[in-house]
Amino acid sequence: MIVGQIPFSEFFSLLSNQGLRVKMGPFNVQIRTASSTLAEHLYSLYGDYELVERDLAEFHVQISPVRLIKKPFSPHARFFLDGRSLSPPFPAEQALAALEWGINLAIAARINHLLLFHSAIVERNGYAVILPAWPGSGKTTLCTALVHRGYRLFSDEFGLMDPGREIFLPIPRLMPLKNESIRAIRNYLPEATLGPEIRNTHKGTIAYVRPPTESIARSDETAKAKWIIFPKWMSDAPLRLETLPDSEAFLLLASNSFNYEVLGDTSFQAVTRLIRSCRCYKLIYSDFDAALTAIDALTDDI
Amino acid sequence: MTYKPPAHHSLLLNALINPASLVEYNATKWELLLRSARKVKLLGRLAIELKNRGLLDHIPLRAANLLQSSLIQVKRLQQITHWELNRISWALKDTGAPVVALKGVAYSLAGVPESDGRIYVDLDIMVPKDRLSDVESTLTKKGWVHHHKLSAYDEHYYRAWSHEIPPLVHSERETEVDIHHTLSPPTSRLEINTGLLLSAAVAVGNSGYRILCPVDMVLHCAVNLFQNNELADDLRDLLDIHDLLLFFSKNEKDFWKKLIERANQLSLGRSLFYGLYFSRFIFQTPIPENLENDLNEKPNPLSRRIMHYLVPQALFPLHPDKHSRHALVARSLLYLRSHWIRMPIHLLVPHLAYKTYLSIFPAKQ
Repeated sequence: MIVGQIPFSEFFSLLSNQGLRVKMGPFNVQIRTASSTLAEHLYSLYGDYELVERDLAEFHVQISPVRLIKKPFSPHARFFLDGRSLSPPFPAEQALAALEWGINLAIAARINHLLLFHSAIVERNGYAVILPAWPGSGKTTLCTALVHRGYRLFSDEFGLMDPGREIFLPIPRLMPLKNESIRAIRNYLPEATLGPEIRNTHKGTIAYVRPPTESIARSDETAKAKWIIFPKWMSDAPLRLETLPDSEAFLLLASNSFNYEVLGDTSFQAVTRLIRSCRCYKLIYSDFDAALTAIDALTDDI
Repeated sequence: MTYKPPAHHSLLLNALINPASLVEYNATKWELLLRSARKVKLLGRLAIELKNRGLLDHIPLRAANLLQSSLIQVKRLQQITHWELNRISWALKDTGAPVVALKGVAYSLAGVPESDGRIYVDLDIMVPKDRLSDVESTLTKKGWVHHHKLSAYDEHYYRAWSHEIPPLVHSERETEVDIHHTLSPPTSRLEINTGLLLSAAVAVGNSGYRILCPVDMVLHCAVNLFQNNELADDLRDLLDIHDLLLFFSKNEKDFWKKLIERANQLSLGRSLFYGLYFSRFIFQTPIPENLENDLNEKPNPLSRRIMHYLVPQALFPLHPDKHSRHALVARSLLYLRSHWIRMPIHLLVPHLAYKTYLSIFPAKQ
């Protein structure tokens, strides 16, 4: 059963009592909050997530109101992971962003049986495309465009790799667009479902895109990677697609992982094999259509 | 007498005492167990117990993945902590100051098998007090810096009232180094003859490292838990005592007799009493009956009764979803106790008042 199949009243009752338990890719997450505003946002954005019926949950998170002595009249809230607060209080209207970031943080802090790349991953023609984060990459924006044009979303943030089997695991989550990207995507993809605009976060204004239904429904289907594309958005730049030397791709990818050092030898071996089995490129773009055409052409060649 | 715990305590306790029985746990039990074990830093321990028995494939996959994850992290932390000890020994070689490794790293150097799954985040070492300033200045010349920017108050707290100096960390690495000059705060009622500990310290093979001798290692563990700590979520430290007692009693001749004699010599009977008492009470450690009778210093019967009820409530984690009021009260009382026995009242009251003030109006970082 998925979230959208239960009425809002039941959804909110779960959130505010024993906890809403949803499956996010390989992990089950239990979420609790008594905030009806947050519940409404989640109800519209989490509609496709499967409800966890019997299995255990790995992460237990909660958003709870706090009263600050210094700002007694402005509602604030805190994020808790297993009852422990991990970040300073935030204005209550930022609860959705705090929840999404908090879950990311929990995954990054606790998961080491998988290698965690800081990267967007999409799939086409049965193989994964790795779009690593690097400064100015605009990976989330490009990823949003791709998954509304026939690519299957694995993640816009976490490349989850099983280092032993060299496969990537989907973890489709809400995709946070920042600042100018919000308008860019609204213009380019009027069909995308966006949540409310959350202002004044430490990353500016954020709006979350709901992942495509099919991506969540197929989130148990893993894939091997075939392409690594380091994207860079540059205003008005003509499209440039260049191959990247393996050594450079290795360093960029390894230094952009959340737990490369923790896994030690395992991650060195895994990244070496990954780079050898992938074609690596650098993509400079300013226009979505041109970028999509280029990536389509690459991923048609299997 | 054995501990009759609430349900979430017994899930954890049973897992620690009888890891093979974990293959019977269903998803609901696993979920509560994993949350509880994480709270008291024992996920790595459960992971290694199951791994050594080849049982990681016989439990729910999600549980196995979380245990694997924590074991990988534990191994990494062990590796970098051992490396930090290597670097510290190198840096201090020319000073000639005797350096003794303590706690987690020391258990592993001593060959305690359970230390394989033990998480340790910091490197703890001890040097003689009269070499402290030499050691500190040598390390700061060779790249170590003070880990946190300390307020004048905290700096004073460490220098005047603590058994450690403010922690150091090498500017290129991340492991915090805690440098002790004795085992317990100088403000406490204990006066520990550190010279005796240092001169009995033993070399570890040809590694060049030194650790406390077995009985002193147990005493340090007991003092740390029952004299220095606040006991909340410290089940791991009691388990350390249990592991050390099992290991040394098997491998050291006359271990129990030496342990009691040493506690009497160093006047650490009270802490050892509690260590033995609770290790036996909770983990059913096979300690000779009435062993504690030979201790010169023992808590009085009233203290024992109170501690008997309070300590397990604090050591075991709170239920992650519903905090029991009893446990919260027990933890507050033990928090006060820990300060009471560490500091005389004329220092304690202003200190707690200042900490309360800071919790309401945090200092600007």
